[in-house]
Amino acid sequence: MKRRRDTAPVWWHHWMMQSLLYGRGVDRARKAQARLGLALLGFALVYAIIAFRLVLYAAMADTHMVRRSGSTDAVATARPDIVDRNGEILATDFKTPSLFAEPRRIIDPDEATELLAGVLPDLDSREVRDRLGSKRGFAWLKRDITPAQQQEVHRLGIPGIGFLTENKRVYPNGNEFSHIIGHVNIDNQGIAGIEKWIDNRGLADLHRAGFGVDREHEPVRLGVDLRVQHALHDELVAARDKFKADAAAGIVLDVRTGEIVSMVSVPDYNPNNPREALEPSRINRLTTGVYEMGSTFKALTIAMALDSGKVTLNSSFDARGSLRYGHFNISDYHAQNRVLTVPEIFTYSSNIGAAKIALSQGVENHRTFLSKVGQLDRLRTELPESAEPIVPKHWGELNTVTISYGHGLSVAPLQSVMGVAAIVNGGYLIPPTFLRRSPAEARAIAKRVVKSETSAAMRYLMRLNAEKGTATKADVKGFYVGGKTGTAEKVINGRYSKNRLMTDFMAVLPADEPRFLVLIMLDEPKPIAETHGFATSGWNAAPVAAKVITRIAPLLGLEPRFDLPTADHLILAAAKEARWSPPPP
Amino acid sequence: MMRLVHLIVAAALVAAAVDVYKIKFESTVQAERVAKLAAEIRRERDAIAALRAEWAQLDNPARVQALAQRHLALKMLDPAQIEQLDRLPERPFIPTAPPTDAIANIIDALEPEPPTGSAGGAVPTTAGATR
Repeated sequence: MKRRRDTAPVWWHHWMMQSLLYGRGVDRARKAQARLGLALLGFALVYAIIAFRLVLYAAMADTHMVRRSGSTDAVATARPDIVDRNGEILATDFKTPSLFAEPRRIIDPDEATELLAGVLPDLDSREVRDRLGSKRGFAWLKRDITPAQQQEVHRLGIPGIGFLTENKRVYPNGNEFSHIIGHVNIDNQGIAGIEKWIDNRGLADLHRAGFGVDREHEPVRLGVDLRVQHALHDELVAARDKFKADAAAGIVLDVRTGEIVSMVSVPDYNPNNPREALEPSRINRLTTGVYEMGSTFKALTIAMALDSGKVTLNSSFDARGSLRYGHFNISDYHAQNRVLTVPEIFTYSSNIGAAKIALSQGVENHRTFLSKVGQLDRLRTELPESAEPIVPKHWGELNTVTISYGHGLSVAPLQSVMGVAAIVNGGYLIPPTFLRRSPAEARAIAKRVVKSETSAAMRYLMRLNAEKGTATKADVKGFYVGGKTGTAEKVINGRYSKNRLMTDFMAVLPADEPRFLVLIMLDEPKPIAETHGFATSGWNAAPVAAKVITRIAPLLGLEPRFDLPTADHLILAAAKEARWSPPPP
Repeated sequence: MMRLVHLIVAAALVAAAVDVYKIKFESTVQAERVAKLAAEIRRERDAIAALRAEWAQLDNPARVQALAQRHLALKMLDPAQIEQLDRLPERPFIPTAPPTDAIANIIDALEPEPPTGSAGGAVPTTAGATR
């Protein structure tokens, strides 16, 4: 045996098994020792494994606990708060208990249904009965119950019924921000507005990976102002009532940065009750609706002509009679029947004048210019909802004529605000945003579309219009408002209707050095006694703009200045003298 | 000799085991404390969030406006009411009567006539000061 062990070590194992443990010719004492050793080895191994597992548990206990508590909590995922530019809360999460059942563990579904119906009377008992009777592992019974109801259900002591703490989204400002913020579904996933934008930005992926159940997100800070939004909302609701309009909408835009300070479209809905949002009348008319903007488009037409250098403020155009085009007859609302200068065309809002100005530039130039100021392409913002402008397929002379005064081209109102902002802010086209944006960031993405001299001339025209044109009712003393009215006839059954109007008003404040652009829009305002039977923009949209400006200008940090000289002196003279150094965008 | 070494080793082993157990026990206590505090922080955070939401609801401009219109006689701000401090005129000088000491008058009215002719009765200096 020994010889074998020395010469063939491969047999060591075999030798041990055979000779030490079972071999007959081996010494008994040696055999016993070997067996004892083997037993010791076995026990030592078992204890080593136990010790190792203990160390593992000691080291990992925390993570196990955390994971378990995390999974029983917060099925509806946490979302970042949304705050306005001053940090006021617009949307936040709220923890509420939800009631669920494990139908497989329910002993008597009928009894459980009866007991639950006693505590939660608004529960549909047949549906609950069906859910409890199913053989599923999990079923929601009622989301978002009150702590008092939770206590009562708990006291019933039904086995197989439990609670989960969930995040519920609340919107403390109700209707006011509905179209900006949007809303979430029952599982706290954004399905409209900024809420959806947050999800699209990667929050949804984060949740799918199992993160983000607790509040750990930085709040999303918007550029809107809660106070301004309230003032605008309040005035628009009042205006819609007063003029019995179908809808009213308004925007306040910072022309230097492109930040939307406020945006309201009534009728709106309460995001805490998102079912209302499905009604088609409650759409956001400013981004998802397209409209013929009416005479406010004349601002773009005249800006184009002035920028080309072929037309100056002293040029004049024949606005006598009416303009015949095929079977179209274009006439003026405030007909003057004489030769008008460019400022007169603007302040009398002459359709014929605007058409002749546009024709003098040529169809192709007109189209190119409107494309340059962003009126022909879909405008995309953070909001997922946007509408494509309706552009004529074949753009002929007649199209240029009608589009020059805002008919025949439907754009989203926010889009036209962006265009007008560009021609008053020194000539920079800045895409609007709902987020915060610094002037430096705005400068980096701004695109020059008109010369700064053109912009100064347009500011002059806007101010002149408030001093002695169609916008006098919007001239709030102290804020040097400039503006342009717009009234578009709505198309009813394929024809322009004379008495169903869409009126809008663009106000720039202050006109000498613009900071903000305010758009007010009324859909089918009715003539009332106070407006002497008129329903055009100067009688409804302009006074509403005045009310809004009176309220919001102090909130926006604009200081009232009285006894300022007229537009001829303040804007025009300054532009001529200093060649106008434009304010930074 | 070997026996002594064995004894020392055994004693050291026991001591080490006791020490390790103590450390482990303490760490468990600490871990529990951490978990408890973390849970408490979460609860507090949720409570703060709930209170902030409630505050935002109560602080909502629409609600404040409705309350103000119902209970206060305030009117909308007019731009003419806003002015810079340094453009305000100096406050006009209105000559007023020399200030009178109301408390002193009351004390005078209350105080009886100073005692006269009593032996050693000195008039208190304080009374004289207030007069």
